[in-house]
Amino acid sequence: MIDLLTDPQALTDFLSTSLRLSIPIIFAAVGGVISERSGVFNIALEGCILGGAFGAAVGAYLIGHPVGGLLLGVFVAMMAGLILAGLAVGLAINQLVAGIAINILMLGLTSYLARLILGADATSTLPGFGPIAIPGLSAIPVLGPVLFEQDLLTYLMYLLVPLSWWVIYKTPWGLNLRAIGDYPVAADSAGISVPKVRLFAVLASCAMAGLGGCYLVLSQVFVFTEHMSAGKGFIALAALILGRWNPIGALLACLFFGLSDAMQLRLQFNSPDVPYQLFSMVPFLASFLALVVFAGKVRPPAAIGIRYERGGK
Amino acid sequence: MRRILLTCKALAVGAALTAASVTATFAEDFKVAIVLPGVITDGSFNQAGYEGVQRAAEKLGIDFAYSEKTAQPDQPEALSDYARRGYDLVIGHGGEFQESVDRIARRFPDTKFLIVNGTEPGDNVATMSFDFPALGYVMGYVSGKTSETGKAGYVGAQKLLFYVQLGEGFEKGFMDARPDGEVFTAWTNDWDDVAKGKEAALNLISQGADVIFPSMDNAVVGSLQGVKEKGAMAIGIYYDAIADWPDTVIQSAIFDMRSALGEVIAKAQAGELEGTSYIFGLETPVAARVGSYSDRVTEATQDEVTALIDKIIAGEVETH
Repeated sequence: MIDLLTDPQALTDFLSTSLRLSIPIIFAAVGGVISERSGVFNIALEGCILGGAFGAAVGAYLIGHPVGGLLLGVFVAMMAGLILAGLAVGLAINQLVAGIAINILMLGLTSYLARLILGADATSTLPGFGPIAIPGLSAIPVLGPVLFEQDLLTYLMYLLVPLSWWVIYKTPWGLNLRAIGDYPVAADSAGISVPKVRLFAVLASCAMAGLGGCYLVLSQVFVFTEHMSAGKGFIALAALILGRWNPIGALLACLFFGLSDAMQLRLQFNSPDVPYQLFSMVPFLASFLALVVFAGKVRPPAAIGIRYERGGK
Repeated sequence: MRRILLTCKALAVGAALTAASVTATFAEDFKVAIVLPGVITDGSFNQAGYEGVQRAAEKLGIDFAYSEKTAQPDQPEALSDYARRGYDLVIGHGGEFQESVDRIARRFPDTKFLIVNGTEPGDNVATMSFDFPALGYVMGYVSGKTSETGKAGYVGAQKLLFYVQLGEGFEKGFMDARPDGEVFTAWTNDWDDVAKGKEAALNLISQGADVIFPSMDNAVVGSLQGVKEKGAMAIGIYYDAIADWPDTVIQSAIFDMRSALGEVIAKAQAGELEGTSYIFGLETPVAARVGSYSDRVTEATQDEVTALIDKIIAGEVETH
């Protein structure tokens, strides 16, 4: 661990690992914020990441260019979002149940279709996005190469996180979104269509999570493997709670989770006596603590998880 | 439970017998079922298990069924379901099945259970595993002779006994080939997370390792991808991985689950399966052997390793 303080290259590697491990969950967590702000639990983030990863792999494989993968990845994730919105908003089915159903569906469907489409080529390297160094900025010691020698999707993340914060807190559209998440009756009587806004929020949410899946395939490992989301959607849910339903908070929480993941991988060499499970536990422990510490000060959107029927209770 | 039940009538039987006689002989047919913790296309542990049973069934002309991605809480139920339905041999694919099998085996005295990588055999419970340290040792030796930096990395998912032993064998082999060398070990705590598998490998490479030996399931692909990007070397596992990673993999530890399972299933069909541990080492190359060399491994090293394997079989080398 000491080498991190003395060796700038080691520190750069460590921070790059942290950032790379956190990017998929940042996309998903910020997506989750958008949906939950509108009053819809998005448990399906996990399935959306997986759908995004699958679409990215198939698109890149069939078209031979990562942009094809990006488009198809976001499309597949939005299809999952459409199902979630249809079930949870349209048919007013329990949001948690609908989300879990989608996760199970995506796991089976992507595995099945990947076997069918990718088949024997499953381990061949797919076309992906390479790093683009931003002149000037990437020359900053340590942080330069970590932050500004990244691929397209990372820069997209830099854009989308502040953008979603701005939309949620500074635009009329965001006000509508938050109003519906807190008190849909009032929003409805003010003439805002609750189902429409929730539909858009869920679609945007799933598209974001899908970008996380695209990142996994197109920027990180360049292959698709079954269940490659590996629980990241659930970590993202923890991050958005820790980040107090705020995109910037979620970003910080995800970076913290990425840091503890990277720590787990690195600490083992220097101190083999520390059990590696300790660091796997950190994200969950931190979320728990946050729930306890912030209890009373922060609350989730008041109408979250409650179906809305005009004129109903 | 996401369980895919596919009872596959082996093709050989279908071709040889008419439909009527299939039905007639059905009751006496030997039937085998396997319950797997992961997906059957992971290119690793689970795929090997599935294909082992599938091929054995085809060859021996018997019925088989499988359940994939069975979560730990569902495993006892999946196993006893097969036993209840009259499967003669029920296989739990992975050391984690030991506990579930212990719990249910007594209730089905007529059924034989086989735990792959199991540790404790019983009356109607056989276990099957490989001599992990021996192959780990050979891989370590190859790596030690081929490494330029004198450092290697072992990436495992969880500290299960066999994977710890594999890593220890690898380390000992590496150190014996290169007494001034160093072996790092990283546990990722996830069998499937490819991103983490890759980062673990990159991390080891940034510490100076130039040979990486990953031993997870799906996540192995991530590690190999990282090694490939950095132009370092890797050791494959379970199959001759050089076929998929020609520039990256220098040698593979082939634990031929397919053949090993085939041997055990054939024994079971003949009624000879006993409640003991079947351990396949280098002396049974059909089940445990080294794969193909990359041209990054010198001829001299290859000859040395061939001699080394003979010594290990003769019991002259301490592998862990």
